[in-house]
Amino acid sequence: MPAATRPARAVRPASMPRVNRGARPARGAAYFIREGVEGFKRNGLMSVAAVTITMVTLTALGAAFIVASTLDLLAAGVERNLEVVVYLREGLRQSDVGAVRTRLLRLPGVTEVAFVSKEDALASFQQRLGGKVDLKEFLSHNPLPESFAVTADRPERLEAIAAAAGQLPQVEHASYGGPTIDRLTAVTRIVRLAGLVASAGLALVAMIIIVNTIRLTVFARRMEIEVMRLVGATAWFIRWPFVIEGAITGAVAACAALILITGTYAWLAWTMGGSLPFLPLISPLEVARDLAWKLMVWGVLIGIGGSLLAVRRFLSH
Amino acid sequence: MVEFRQVSKVYPNGVCALRDVTLRIEPEEFVFIVGPTGTGKSTLTRMVYREELPSSGQVLVGGRNVTQMPVQQVPFLRRRVGVVFQDFKLLPRKTAWENVAFALEVTGTPPSEIAPRVGEVLEVVGLAPRAGAIPRELSAGEQQRVSIARALVHRPPLLVADEPTGNLDPDTSWEIVQLLSRINLRGTTVIVTTHDKTIVDILRKRVIALDRGAVIRDEARGLYAGGH
Repeated sequence: MPAATRPARAVRPASMPRVNRGARPARGAAYFIREGVEGFKRNGLMSVAAVTITMVTLTALGAAFIVASTLDLLAAGVERNLEVVVYLREGLRQSDVGAVRTRLLRLPGVTEVAFVSKEDALASFQQRLGGKVDLKEFLSHNPLPESFAVTADRPERLEAIAAAAGQLPQVEHASYGGPTIDRLTAVTRIVRLAGLVASAGLALVAMIIIVNTIRLTVFARRMEIEVMRLVGATAWFIRWPFVIEGAITGAVAACAALILITGTYAWLAWTMGGSLPFLPLISPLEVARDLAWKLMVWGVLIGIGGSLLAVRRFLSH
Repeated sequence: MVEFRQVSKVYPNGVCALRDVTLRIEPEEFVFIVGPTGTGKSTLTRMVYREELPSSGQVLVGGRNVTQMPVQQVPFLRRRVGVVFQDFKLLPRKTAWENVAFALEVTGTPPSEIAPRVGEVLEVVGLAPRAGAIPRELSAGEQQRVSIARALVHRPPLLVADEPTGNLDPDTSWEIVQLLSRINLRGTTVIVTTHDKTIVDILRKRVIALDRGAVIRDEARGLYAGGH
């Protein structure tokens, strides 16, 4: 290992100033990563524990995220085809139907009134169910009423149109998507909030475990750190390996969480997709792509936060 | 090079380590700081490389007031103050060569400069032939030489040795002190704390005696116990 030594030259002290201020060594990055990986491996079970709890945190975060975006998608779907559906009473004569149409067309803001016969309604319902069930097999007669699909020039008018249409004697019931959207939005908000609160709590626990894991590395390397401080290594130079150990913990946890979430989601989509045909499902691949960087960023942030906390007390003096 | 202005240190537990210490050490001087254990010698040296701050007073190193130095600048101060300890503080799994190189590696020295500079200081301390040995394979005196080489590798104008011979037998102690003296002759200011009467009395350098935290004597070409 000793390099060829040269004949002794006077170690002449450069008069006080001239310091190599803050120069980052080219080999620094490789050194930091090597030491970070070393620390991660050395802590064995503690690292596994830290990764596991971080993974649970990220899984909760990701699950809440998926549920919320599915609900968003559902609300957007409802909102896109906003119309008032005016259900007619059973057994109306042709002239009554025509009268209703005339009255509806006269309501302010109405742009189109489309008649949906009982057969049309059944056909479209069948279409939404897909080919998995054949309604005709277990329906002796068609239970769906005749209706008018009323579209308006502006969505705000829908409520008034529905109310006015509901007053007509030939009309059984008039409804529009507004309340559904309101309810969906409220549920989405709750899911988001609950996910956030749960994730924040879990993130705290994850951070505490990461802090303790990295303290083990700090302890194992305490002599090295002491020497580094004494010979003039900067605080960041000393910190970097720990920051990298924390980031590795977070990144490994994010990968595990991503596999867990996407796997579970794909399985759920596959088993439940048939029974809940109205649910707009995002493809598992898209879910993975969307979540990957989010989980990675969160995992790495939690890991780095924990490692900075772990070395903070040690480096301040 | 080093100046203490009315420096006092009281630890949170009430122990008073230094009392109103005022002293001045010129460049290229060799100074012994003597006194029985627990008289504040270590506290004094620790203030020079700012491992410790005074409760009151000021410490100047190389003309800079280190008591008011921002924390981020402390590493750069330490690259200009070599420090040697009684317990060597060598990393047990690294060779002598690697222990010295470590001081350069962690302070961002370009890799191409490391090998020549490590070789150079190992030569100065007379340990070039043992460069590949790990601390366990070296004698105590050799280990202290490695730690001196590490302290010198940044080419500091000031070297502080806190009880460098505390763990060494008399012959080895004498060799180490001679080495420090040679380093001083090359132009480095050297501050050595010790309670080893013999070496102080043989070398006849400046002696600053501390007693219960206060300077009780400061003599050029002094003796351990004072008087001529």
